[in-house]
Amino acid sequence: MAKIQAHYDGAVIGGGIAGMQAALDLAGQGFRVLLVEREPSIGGIMVGLNKVFPTLDCSSCICTPRMAEAAHHERIDLLTYTEVEEVRRTDGHFTLRLLKKPRYVVEEDCIGCGKCEQACDWFVPHEFDYGLGARKAIYIPHGNAIPQLPVLDPEHCMFDGACARVCPKNCIDFLQQPERLEVKAGSVIIATGLKLTPMEAKKEYGGGRYANVISPLLMERMQSSNGPTGHVMRPSDGRIPRSVAYVQCAGSRDRTIGVPYCSRVCCMYALKQAILIRQHHPGTEVTLYYMDIRAFGKGYEQFFRRALAEGVRVVKAKVGRITEEPDGDLVLRVELIDEGGRVAEIRHDLVVLSQGLIPAWRPVGIVPARLDEDGFFEVPEVTTRPANSSVDGIFVAGVATGPKDIPDSIVEAGAAAMEAAMYLDRISRVEAEEAAMSEVSND
Amino acid sequence: MSGGNGNGSVRVGVFICHCGGNIADVVDVEAAAQAAARMPGVAFSSTHMFCCSDPGQAMIVQAIRDHGLNRVVVAACSPSLHEATFRRAAAHAGLNPFLCLHANIREQVSWVVRDRAQATRKAVRLIRAAVARSAHLAPLERRRLPIRPSVLVIGGGVAGLTAARDLASRGIEVTLIESSPFLGGRLAQLYRIYPTGQFARDVLNRLIREVAGHPKVKIYTNAQLWSSEGFIGDFRTTVRLIPRGVTEEPADLQAVLDACPEEAVDQFNLGLAKRKAIYRPYDGCYPPLPAIDWRTCTRCGACVEAAGGRGIQLDQEPEQIEIRSGAIVLAVGLDTYPLRHGEYGYGKFPEVITLAQLNRLLDPTGPTGGRVEIRGRPVRRVGFLHCVGSLQRKGVHPPMRDGRINEYCSRVCCTTTMHTAAELKSRFPELQVYDFHEHIRTYGRKHENYYDRVCEQGVVFIRFDPARPPRVESDPKGEWPLVVRTVDRLTSGEELEVPLDLLVLATGLVARDMKRLIDLYRCSVGPDRFLLEVHPKLRPVELASSGLFLAGSVQGPMDIAEATAAAAAAASKAAALVCAGSIELDPYVARVDETRCSGCRICLQACPFGAIARREETRQAVVNEALCMGCGTCAALCPCNAIQQCGFDDRQIGAELEALLAPEPELAAVSSQEAFDGKAQGR
Ligand SMILES: Cc1cc2nc3c(=O)[nH]c(=O)nc-3n(C[C@H](O)[C@H](O)[C@H](O)COP(=O)(O)OP(=O)(O)OC[C@H]3O[C@@H](n4cnc5c(N)ncnc54)[C@H](O)[C@@H]3O)c2cc1C
Repeated sequence: MAKIQAHYDGAVIGGGIAGMQAALDLAGQGFRVLLVEREPSIGGIMVGLNKVFPTLDCSSCICTPRMAEAAHHERIDLLTYTEVEEVRRTDGHFTLRLLKKPRYVVEEDCIGCGKCEQACDWFVPHEFDYGLGARKAIYIPHGNAIPQLPVLDPEHCMFDGACARVCPKNCIDFLQQPERLEVKAGSVIIATGLKLTPMEAKKEYGGGRYANVISPLLMERMQSSNGPTGHVMRPSDGRIPRSVAYVQCAGSRDRTIGVPYCSRVCCMYALKQAILIRQHHPGTEVTLYYMDIRAFGKGYEQFFRRALAEGVRVVKAKVGRITEEPDGDLVLRVELIDEGGRVAEIRHDLVVLSQGLIPAWRPVGIVPARLDEDGFFEVPEVTTRPANSSVDGIFVAGVATGPKDIPDSIVEAGAAAMEAAMYLDRISRVEAEEAAMSEVSND
Repeated sequence: MSGGNGNGSVRVGVFICHCGGNIADVVDVEAAAQAAARMPGVAFSSTHMFCCSDPGQAMIVQAIRDHGLNRVVVAACSPSLHEATFRRAAAHAGLNPFLCLHANIREQVSWVVRDRAQATRKAVRLIRAAVARSAHLAPLERRRLPIRPSVLVIGGGVAGLTAARDLASRGIEVTLIESSPFLGGRLAQLYRIYPTGQFARDVLNRLIREVAGHPKVKIYTNAQLWSSEGFIGDFRTTVRLIPRGVTEEPADLQAVLDACPEEAVDQFNLGLAKRKAIYRPYDGCYPPLPAIDWRTCTRCGACVEAAGGRGIQLDQEPEQIEIRSGAIVLAVGLDTYPLRHGEYGYGKFPEVITLAQLNRLLDPTGPTGGRVEIRGRPVRRVGFLHCVGSLQRKGVHPPMRDGRINEYCSRVCCTTTMHTAAELKSRFPELQVYDFHEHIRTYGRKHENYYDRVCEQGVVFIRFDPARPPRVESDPKGEWPLVVRTVDRLTSGEELEVPLDLLVLATGLVARDMKRLIDLYRCSVGPDRFLLEVHPKLRPVELASSGLFLAGSVQGPMDIAEATAAAAAAASKAAALVCAGSIELDPYVARVDETRCSGCRICLQACPFGAIARREETRQAVVNEALCMGCGTCAALCPCNAIQQCGFDDRQIGAELEALLAPEPELAAVSSQEAFDGKAQGR
């Protein structure tokens, strides 16, 4: 792991696809970049996805090489498992106060052999698999993680020393302390991405209460060949579902939960997952209950039609309530809009709530850039400067400025890098002029 | 196992990727690894869940070191995706990267062959061929090409202007060419833009000020792409400059315009008005000088006279200039869907107009001074019809001229419609507004606000059935100019008859006619006729031909903010390229064997890149390696077999073909334990 410098041209906060791309594009133009990620691995949401619409190529195949490229780039340094505590403007640059959380592993010495993980006896539900798979109390985040370094979870660790005993490098350190760092950066790019609206946000759908009402991210993991199950199953009994329902806008376009906007990717990810369910289990029916199908991107409408051709059913309807049957099946009470608002009760054995996208980070008082009322970063001049925040020198990309898909996030990351490069040129010119001025006045 | 093919110490490592399940679900990768282990020259073979991931690459590096491998074959996805990744890994382990070969067992096997046994056999065959070829590989060195620190931007709309502005502010020389006499493209024709509500003109003027005043930018309007030579690093583009006809602002422009006797349809106002042959689309346009439309002008000289003989020249000749640049940004934008006569009543009823035309009517500087009226009659009931020319269906919509229908969504029309309807309702609250749609796709940030707003404003939504699109007819009762007949799925398929005095068609967006551009730069084109990026996620703003970048809606429908972001992303890539000063190219160049060359010159004439010359003293062919693109044409044509192409020489290809065509080797069943060991070795 490279030594962290005191000064960078750009600090990128968030190591998802947008942050990595921004870092690569800025470094590609010759600048030195620090990439800060708060999780133990970079990769963001994308590294956990199965296949991506509309091409259905595997997400890892696109994401992991980017991760490797960002991690190995000669002008990019990586800080994972690190929180940004403050970004403030200090004469001509930004100062970032960072908190490097303890992995309880000496990073410099660790060779990522995984012996500690094997030796650990404590199983914990794995966050990466949304609780369906298990991990140990000390674990390498996942097979594609970068860096391939273990992290110890003190909440579940029994401190029996099993890992420390087998570590060939003697690098388990139970007493490791959080480390505070201060780094200066000429510019800052924020790409802190998304989280989903809580499963419980709409009580009437029973998310979080009913075992077979699940998150689309769990569906991604179940469908992934490197996921916990390798195929789609009902969490309650492990059975392959025969009738899957997607409740669209279950967390978007809904003022009652404070998310009035469209989350932009849910139609497409639901169609994608539906196609893949049908491909793997042709006997399983999949129905999307939707308000509008928003297949607006390049090739997306064609993808929607492909889904229909592969037998995915779409029904314009509002889902009012979901109730659980004793066998774990679910009954959806729906208003069928195309049938004049007729109300029907329809039984399914697995329900996916197409949760909306909300910002993963709302750094009020931490970063001087303003947030908009939707909670995402404000972009005051979106039509001409789509990557500029309200503060000169702080740029934004990806879902940090509102829901968007991977291609749009990547393009916006390129724009943020370009803006940062232009800004850095501008301040270095100003600095040079000031230096020249002061020389003149000193003479 | 060591190599037994006479090449002494060839030690091949074979790495087979599961690609999640992309490959392993169809190909028995463990069996393939076992088969590979028995191939001549193979010293090591293994599989990995994701060879391209960091641990996957680490495994390759480790194996090269541990087993003294000097050739690497990776059987995985298409080399276009990850050849570079694995070459880098090989180089990381100290191996010449060109000793690493790729066998494509995803696109060529697992994605196209269904039967597991057959797929596995085919994969093994491809691996065998790659292994055989690898034995004959020689280390190669990449060439370095200098890159000119300048960029040509083609297209002067919002994307082209943004790319030019961004590149110039990084200190890069930019030449911007625009085929029409004025900058601004579609943006100039809009009135207010979402999601900011800014006046389009203000946005445009600011952008033009930033670009036109910049010392690093040179702008040519009325500039037509003529021909192109060269390649990444040194493109030489010939541009034909059509004379503007006007060299100096006439003292009394109005008198000059009045004097011109020739009228033409005003394209800028989308046919809603007429203009003279000498014209200026709007006040404040850039460049501010009027221009002459040569297709309409008869060179009668009336304007020259009205201008007092000064500042107008009707006899200027077109001029050709050559623009040299290290990279090219394509930003020629798009077109609106060309409505057929009578399509939804367009052309038949004057009360049927397009959304773009409505934008011109709303503009206070537009042809009606901002009044929404048709033939002087004010409007009371307006309908908006979505998806005209988009989301088309076979059998429902007649195909376009090339026989294709537009299946795609045009992305911007829903929000534009909501935004325009909101503007209409707030300016004319007594208007009744109807919206005919299939889906409302206000997907973007703040777009939904417009949808909410028009709902509050009382716009009536009617959801048509795409299989039976609405029909536009004249009102049989004669009370209103039009009626729209449609089913409304929101009221269980009720048949509706909606009388209107204005119907606005939300026409979709289509690719421009870019034939010349496509031919000149060998651009890939998608089934939707827009230019096709290399990969939507890996290289979204690049074309397959190196050095060419895509900015904005030349790639597909986009709104202003999206086109701007795409342009900045393209600028970022172009800047990274030209700032580097030089670029490394693959070493696949042609080499001449002087003992064999007879000096017949066939290769000289055949080389499409002008990369072969004749050495004066020996009269033999000599390849300029900086120009050679490695196409192999010369090697194929040489009657004396005197030209070989590095990386693809006869021995290499021969060995590959032989192995590919050899009789089927048996695929011995392998125990799962062996397979497991093979995998474990790699970790
Ligand atoms: C179920 C589902 C399926 C999807 N499928 C597809 C698909 O098939 N195709 C497609 O194009 N899109 C898809 N998407 C959308 C896609 O996930 C997003 O477009 C993409 O992940 C956005 O990338 P990002 O980098 O902006 O955000 P993220 O992926 O969220 O990355 C943000 C990163 O920032 C880090 N971070 C957050 N806060 C901080 C902080 N304070 N300090 C440091 N680091 C921080 C996070 O840990 C994370 O690593 C899908 C989304 C979902 C929910």
